Amino acid sequence: MTEAAFHPVTVATPFFIASIILEIVLARLGKADAHYETKDTAASLGMGLGSTLAGLLTAGMILAAMTWVYQHRLLTIPMTAAWAWAAIFLLEDLTYYVFHRISHERRFWWAAHVNHHSSQHYNLSTALRQTWTGGLAGAWVLWLPLAWLGFPPAMIAIQQGLSLVYQYWIHTEAIRKLPRWFEAVFNTPSHHRVHHARNAVYLDRNYAGILIVWDRMFGTFQPELDEEPCRYGLVKNMATFNILRVAFHEWAGIVQDVARRPRHALGYVFGPPGWSHDGSRETSAMIKARAGSEPADVEAGGLTPNPAAGAG
Amino acid sequence: MDHAFFVQLALSMAAVGVLVALAAWANIAKPSSPLDERRARDLLAYEFPGRSLDAIWVASDGAGALAKSGGLALVICQAGDGFAARQIPWAQAISASFRNGKLCVDLADIAAPRATLSLPSWPPTDLAA
Repeated sequence: MTEAAFHPVTVATPFFIASIILEIVLARLGKADAHYETKDTAASLGMGLGSTLAGLLTAGMILAAMTWVYQHRLLTIPMTAAWAWAAIFLLEDLTYYVFHRISHERRFWWAAHVNHHSSQHYNLSTALRQTWTGGLAGAWVLWLPLAWLGFPPAMIAIQQGLSLVYQYWIHTEAIRKLPRWFEAVFNTPSHHRVHHARNAVYLDRNYAGILIVWDRMFGTFQPELDEEPCRYGLVKNMATFNILRVAFHEWAGIVQDVARRPRHALGYVFGPPGWSHDGSRETSAMIKARAGSEPADVEAGGLTPNPAAGAG
Repeated sequence: MDHAFFVQLALSMAAVGVLVALAAWANIAKPSSPLDERRARDLLAYEFPGRSLDAIWVASDGAGALAKSGGLALVICQAGDGFAARQIPWAQAISASFRNGKLCVDLADIAAPRATLSLPSWPPTDLAA
């Protein structure tokens, strides 16, 4: 079985639309904390629609790769077993954490992910501001080991879909904090607000998909602080709502940098976002060190791996 | 691609249109007053920490500001209900086109192509060099 008969995102689409309407109406009535700006909303929803279309271009290639790996699997894991679903839940969520962290800490994958962080708003429409270039950036290879282990591609696709649907509802300011036990285990609106904030203390934190425990385990967790209200967007915010610029600006920036400094191509492509050969720009780690929100163990312009290099 | 795909695409586009129209009707953008000098200085201090300002010009409509900081021009421009900031060489700001009370600054950035500021005059005669 290689094709998912159940697509969680497709099933959830009416819920996405209804919940955005609800958030806007409640905010309008003063019953919910939410802000929508027209051009920003159009850009977010346009990116979401475009992402669906762009995904079709690479879906076949990804499915073929996943199927080929599955044909060379170690084990055969049954889709009907409860333990198998528990295992895929944990392993897929861990894979998502790794993917998401790389997507912030290495510019090549940040170029595909940056658009999701390019809004200065944080509302349910922001959740739909999705990548157009994720398939081409190739981070989907991180999920191939699950097929090699023996999880059917359909099972992996369903779990990926469930994770995306889970992550949708946490893009809101309308929900402040949830019960402590829930905040301790799961990714929540509060944790994910931190992830979308550009405040130095919040940069490159809370990469979780569903379980926040990965961030707690790997040292990238940051709680939302009452004294530090989130400022959303990028370290260098966009001054345009043109969705072509939203989708491709970081890729264009990489091409420009490599063309100007071909000797430093490796750093400009695979270094942390903000890396420059002469230290004239700032990575997230440098910003955090300057702001005093992290020990200053960062070499300016260096390529030292660090937990904070993306922006937003 | 089958018929169902195009139906789904058309419905999605219609839904996007409805949601954008609803957001426009709701008028729930972030409340923000036009920039005055104090607020422009606060924004510049946040966006460019540690930079001292030699001079500052705030757009007459409060939709942006430009400051001289040594050899750099620090520019703030409105983006929806928020702001974006960039730094460019001062010489680039000085040579920006100024017509009908609008200064159009090329920010040389794909993510922030240009800033348009309403100013009474440009360039400033005392700081043009």
